[in-house]
Amino acid sequence: MQQHEIHDFLERYFEANDCEVLERRPASMKIKLSIEIDKLLMNRPFYWHYLEKTGGTPQPMTLSLATGQQAGDGTEEFIHFGSPRLHQIFASTQKLGSFIRMYEKVEHHNGSNIALHPWLCVNMKTSYMCDQKKDRITSHGIHLINGTILDQFHERLQQRPLSRSIPDYCYTLSPFIKPMSGLKRIESLIEEQISCDDHTWADDARRRWQEDQELLDRFYEDQAQKPECYEVEKEALRTQYEPRIEVTCINGGLFYLSDSFPST
Amino acid sequence: MDLSITFHKDWSQDFLKRLDEDGPWTKWELYTLALEAQKHLAVPDFLGLQAPNHLPQLTFLPHQLQVAKTVIEKMNGKAILADEVGLGKTIEAGLIMKEYMIRGLAKKVLILVPASLVLQWTGELNQKFFIPAVAQKKSYVWEQCEVVVSSIDTAKRQPHRDIVLNQEYDLVVIDEAHKLKNKNTKNYEFVQHLKKKFCLLLTATPVQNRVEEIFNLVSLLKPGHLGSRENFDKDFREDQHSLKNEEKLKQLVNKVMVRNRREETGLKWPKRIVKTIPITLSESERALYERITELKELPYFARSKFSVLTLQREACSSREACFLTLKNMLEKNEGAGADIIVPVMQQIEHVTQNSKALETLALIKEIGDKVIVFTEYRATQLYLQWFLQQHGISSVPFRGGFKRSKKDYMTYLFKNNAQVLIATEAGGEGINLQFCQHIINYDLPWNPMRIEQRIGRIHRIGQKGDVHIYNFATENTIEERIVNLLYNKINLFESVIGELDEILAKFELKNIESYISDIMLHSETEGEMKVKMDNLASLINLEGGIQKKGWEEHAAARDS
Repeated sequence: MQQHEIHDFLERYFEANDCEVLERRPASMKIKLSIEIDKLLMNRPFYWHYLEKTGGTPQPMTLSLATGQQAGDGTEEFIHFGSPRLHQIFASTQKLGSFIRMYEKVEHHNGSNIALHPWLCVNMKTSYMCDQKKDRITSHGIHLINGTILDQFHERLQQRPLSRSIPDYCYTLSPFIKPMSGLKRIESLIEEQISCDDHTWADDARRRWQEDQELLDRFYEDQAQKPECYEVEKEALRTQYEPRIEVTCINGGLFYLSDSFPST
Repeated sequence: MDLSITFHKDWSQDFLKRLDEDGPWTKWELYTLALEAQKHLAVPDFLGLQAPNHLPQLTFLPHQLQVAKTVIEKMNGKAILADEVGLGKTIEAGLIMKEYMIRGLAKKVLILVPASLVLQWTGELNQKFFIPAVAQKKSYVWEQCEVVVSSIDTAKRQPHRDIVLNQEYDLVVIDEAHKLKNKNTKNYEFVQHLKKKFCLLLTATPVQNRVEEIFNLVSLLKPGHLGSRENFDKDFREDQHSLKNEEKLKQLVNKVMVRNRREETGLKWPKRIVKTIPITLSESERALYERITELKELPYFARSKFSVLTLQREACSSREACFLTLKNMLEKNEGAGADIIVPVMQQIEHVTQNSKALETLALIKEIGDKVIVFTEYRATQLYLQWFLQQHGISSVPFRGGFKRSKKDYMTYLFKNNAQVLIATEAGGEGINLQFCQHIINYDLPWNPMRIEQRIGRIHRIGQKGDVHIYNFATENTIEERIVNLLYNKINLFESVIGELDEILAKFELKNIESYISDIMLHSETEGEMKVKMDNLASLINLEGGIQKKGWEEHAAARDS
């Protein structure tokens, strides 16, 4: 993540969270936090507890952030890809941006009402893990009436104007497929796709596991009654190498879209 | 395909609740930001390093990045990091730790280091690597904190021991791991019982001497890598001290050990400019030295000739050092031998000057910059501090026994307020003084490894200029002989630390100090002593294969 991407990300983050941008420069910014963001980022529960008890006027803090190539004069907090503050902010987006419901903003023509179709979208992270790891992020949407599943769903959504409330002259169709069943169908699809993947990585990990296990067995071969250390090490080898796949949902929600979706 | 796939349910349960309650729903922008954040955090490939992107303010050296890659990709996260002193083993360990943490492969991490380094490690991990490491102080820390730094001595003691052995660590890092070479110690047994997935053992002196030490260390990391005890002996042991199939063993060890040498790193190292400075004793000093030398012949010293050697060395350092040893001797023997010792003590009072201290003063003035003075004796250290102060030169003391915080404070004072740091031997370890370019070896240790450690404090990455080393050698004393042997004949300064280390190990010469004492004590004549010393020098030089490498300036400087 480049510094200018970080700068851009932070600016959007604070604005989306109703924090006031007091100063805006190419490589720094000064932000008056909202109460909600202060509670999330500034780690001062006692202050907020005290305030609630005494009923004082809340004074959220101001953050000065440097987003250039290097740390500034020390009055600003230098933000880069490794800085704990950025990771704290990343983590907070999970709390703030997990669940959504949106409607397509449809141009209204000739007086007739427009039906919006229900879609469930989930953005998933699939992690392939052994003693090594890689992630893949996918975005799927399922049409909750006919069961069509589309990939790259988030990118497709980005092409459409969306609104938090239902536009005038629009109405929503009721889903036939319950959202939870829809989610299960997407999970099955992901599972199917995973099974078609190349799993050399897992075979390799098992081979490394096997090798280490054989060494361990050799080390204790003279001992009929294996000592505790043997079992500890054996279990450690399993946790180290055993290939496994974990799928977590990053975020998702319901989208009501016109029947022109996905093609325009 | 029998791969286990887990779908985490947390999100869907929460989502269901929101459907029931019709919200709350987030904004599109926040929703997009949450996804973008995860895209930035996702690890795109099994291979390669993510950590450097997270640490833009750190500049890693090519060999450090290579070590991290090798350990993670080829050694499966179990490795002995054995770079030579000064190449940044801590940085390598931090980098590997960070990489595993970014990848989500390590959450629970235990770092075992010498007690004096706990705070330094904690600080560096936090400040340099943004790893929220916590120094273990209260026993709840073991369970509640994810990254804990502790000394092994604390961790292995109850009530900690049971708690620690109950944790499932993803990564265990052990600094100064050569202390785990003996499998019959509590420390070894403790580490053996730790539950650990990945493990890094850090040491600068990995193959120090005995065959079983390397076996023990590797077996701690990866039991069975060198076979069982019995097989190992069969395959590799010739007899008590020597090996067979050495090449094969080396290959095996190299699968779990990375070791970079200074000259292989391709880094431009500062030059070492070494100068031997002869010191001529004054008449009164000479008289004292001769008086002490004669003690060797007395029956009183027949069984403790070694103490005469010590006294001779001390006489070359300061009369204060000499006096203290004599006084202690007297007390230990409850006054016995007072008839011999007291007159020597009286003679000490006749010494009118300290020629070495005068030379030190002149040299410090000439240098006009920061100087570290190393001495073997505390009494000399105190005297020098007083002496320099008398002449308007500010100095701070430094000893191995100081607490970490005091060491840091002394380093700070030296950097900012004082011209001179006066250190005793043990003061050398664990501290970086690369802002200084001059070392005076006021007296020299007989163990070449220790002199390397001294120089290693300033001759390291980060040193901007040339490094000047001044060795004092008192003429016509044992000190001069030692300087001749170790520092001129063995070409110590042209060799590199790792090499010397391995050579000494190979020849079981780790105890070179007592070997030299032996020559000094048991040679009947000057000639015999010279022959023995020459033999030792050529043994190390030829058989050990120290070659003259780099730092050519040294020879030139010495000859001039």
